[in-house]
Amino acid sequence: MNYDLVVCGVGGQGVLTMAGVIDHAIHGAGLHLKQSEVHGMAQRGGAVSAFVRISDQPVSSDLIADGTASMVLSVEPMEALRYVPLLRPDGWIVTDITPMVNVDNYPALNALYDVLFSVPRLVAVDAALLAKKAGSIKVQNTVVLGAAASHLPFPVELIEDQLRRLFGRKGERIVTANLHAFRMGDAASRFGAALLAGGVASPVLARVLPRIAFEPHAVPEDLVSAWVQRLSREDGAELARRLFEAGEAIAPDAVPA
Amino acid sequence: MSETILLGDEAVARGAIDAGISAAFAYPGTPSTEIYQAIEDHVKHHHLDVRGMWATNEKVSLEQAMGVSYAGRRCVVSMKHVGLNVAADPFMNSAVSGTHGGLVVVVADDPGMHSSQNEQDSRYFADFAMAPCLEPSDQQQCYDFTREAFDLSEKLQVPVLMRLVTRLAHSRSSVTLTKPRAQNVANFVKDPSRFVLLPGNARRAYASLVDKQKALLEYSEAHPVNALTLRPESDTKRPGILVSGLAWNYLQEALGDALQNYNLLRIGCYPLPVKKIRQLMDASSEIYVVEEGYPFIERYVSALGLMTERTIRGKLSGDLPRMGELSQDAIKRCFGLPIATALQIPGLADVLVNRPPVLCDKCPHTDSYLAINEVIAEFNPNARIMGDIGCYTLGAVGPLHGMHSCLCMGSSIGMAIGVVHAGMGQTMCVIGDGTFTHSGLAPLLDAARDNTNIKVFILDNSIIAMTGGQPTAATDEDVVNLVAGLGVPREHIRIVVPSPHKKKHTMDTIREELAYTGVSVIIARRACVTYAKEIKDLKEIRETKRLIPVVSA
Repeated sequence: MNYDLVVCGVGGQGVLTMAGVIDHAIHGAGLHLKQSEVHGMAQRGGAVSAFVRISDQPVSSDLIADGTASMVLSVEPMEALRYVPLLRPDGWIVTDITPMVNVDNYPALNALYDVLFSVPRLVAVDAALLAKKAGSIKVQNTVVLGAAASHLPFPVELIEDQLRRLFGRKGERIVTANLHAFRMGDAASRFGAALLAGGVASPVLARVLPRIAFEPHAVPEDLVSAWVQRLSREDGAELARRLFEAGEAIAPDAVPA
Repeated sequence: MSETILLGDEAVARGAIDAGISAAFAYPGTPSTEIYQAIEDHVKHHHLDVRGMWATNEKVSLEQAMGVSYAGRRCVVSMKHVGLNVAADPFMNSAVSGTHGGLVVVVADDPGMHSSQNEQDSRYFADFAMAPCLEPSDQQQCYDFTREAFDLSEKLQVPVLMRLVTRLAHSRSSVTLTKPRAQNVANFVKDPSRFVLLPGNARRAYASLVDKQKALLEYSEAHPVNALTLRPESDTKRPGILVSGLAWNYLQEALGDALQNYNLLRIGCYPLPVKKIRQLMDASSEIYVVEEGYPFIERYVSALGLMTERTIRGKLSGDLPRMGELSQDAIKRCFGLPIATALQIPGLADVLVNRPPVLCDKCPHTDSYLAINEVIAEFNPNARIMGDIGCYTLGAVGPLHGMHSCLCMGSSIGMAIGVVHAGMGQTMCVIGDGTFTHSGLAPLLDAARDNTNIKVFILDNSIIAMTGGQPTAATDEDVVNLVAGLGVPREHIRIVVPSPHKKKHTMDTIREELAYTGVSVIIARRACVTYAKEIKDLKEIRETKRLIPVVSA
């Protein structure tokens, strides 16, 4: 088993923290790993990435070759797209949709989202929204980590253990915020997977997922079915577009009429 | 035996501690910074009796380390590749005088220039100094080789250079640690003459270094990391591969099972094992040389391309890229293997822009540049500002475009003097507090002696920020006193606060000093916003140290 993961974002977004949590979870799962990262000047608001390589055999290379990554995990939507050349044709992108605009020529958001939402295997969440709901905007990265967890080749609980270990000394409030953030992200991605399995088209799902204010637990099955039914109707795509453009968070049980 | 996940740099640090170092010194520089950082953290956390400090610069750090070695104890010194240029003088001569206690010089190269101005290869320095070099390929070897390097240094009485590269220094994996060794008892050698490099002694010491080369070569020929694998003969000779250090990681993945069709010589210990290379060449139809950094091995083996008995393929021959980092894909291309197809997303290029690093929000450097730029626009819009190395180097690019040279650490003041001597008139330069104490003091002494008409801006933010917040050797009033001590008249040492609120005062001060012909130093003093907490802690430590009357022995 080989699983290559690119963790990315902008300097200061907690990219390396996330990679560290994943490393220890991999180690806890008894798997081999190699993780390379960029330090130094790049951390001043520049693009930051870490390559995490997971295997049941010892890992040789510190770098991920073109077209071989199984997932790009990003805290920023444009940064997610930066690493597409590393992704396998059947690779996943898991990303926050909240843009970090610190360059003058940042692309127009509509154009950016259109390209992002055309990615066939995508989990796009509004991590800023869910982080605030979990108790702190600082746990934005943990939301995205949660959204990736069910795709990773080791048990989700191992990441939760690492979150407890890492944030334990910062107090119960921080631990809870991180666990909630993580579980909201996880609920989002499992909800997304269920919708795709139910036949909802990927670009439709991509626009709905970021607008749902997930709870820190799985969305009940009856609600999943209700969403599948609603989005499978003829106007599903149009509804998704409308929900996304409205920009407002809705509760998982507020299935639109 | 215990297992833990370590960064390459951290594995070196743990290797040094477990090898029984009594001290460590370093100057921060990406990608080497975490070595000393990890030693300091580990020593503090476990209350170990290991001393040391962030030195003023790399030359000083190596001299400090040499002092430890002279006193019979083990010491590690770490720096980035260009740092070894600064420390070249003590490094070359430490090989001549030889060591006493084990001395390991860890140098982290930066192929691809992630955070550097060149990609020089430190193996040349080891070769130049006739010192052995160990080149690990993974984190476990970082740990093991560091431990071994100390034994080698003591056995043959030479400094050992450990060469890391960015992808090893800043990559993590699992490392198994072994039982720590006790520290040496401090002791001097009976006859110190080899440490007194007067010509008479130096000739003897150099002869001894030349003598050691035979033992070093034997060491390298016998080293298990320099492993030669000759495949069973087939009808025709098989091609061979010479691979060193980190490149081994990429090669294994690029070739996979096909590696079995090649004769193979791995290199991780220098001087080059020439007998094994000879065996590889005799057994092979042609040789691929795969190495990270300069074509160091290829240059020797191919005799600059003059050797025609075998085809040698590598970076000099153009089969591998001459610049930048290697990768498994670069090696696949070299061997004619297919590259995987990536996911294709239409329109991707239209929504992707570069995101270069920028100065932080509310950074004092931004305010310094804004004030300087505005005054220059009044006086001489064509003026060029000599620059230096630090976060403030980011002021060279848009939107500030506030400095127009960046050569090496501490170069701004010397270059400004040169521009004046070239007849370009009054010249300005910017240098940070860390870089100023690293290597800006000597050129400022020249400027003061000559009363050269330069305006030196010392951007004093109280920290070495770019590498992650290491302490500077001097800040605040210490900087003023240093500048005054070098001979700059007190009335032309001006202090401004780079902030939007104080902009008028800053600009007025600059105007006044521009109106004066002679050397002026304008200190833009405001603490780094990103490392405010660290600066506060460091200042407290500094104050406490002042209260201790004598540094205990």
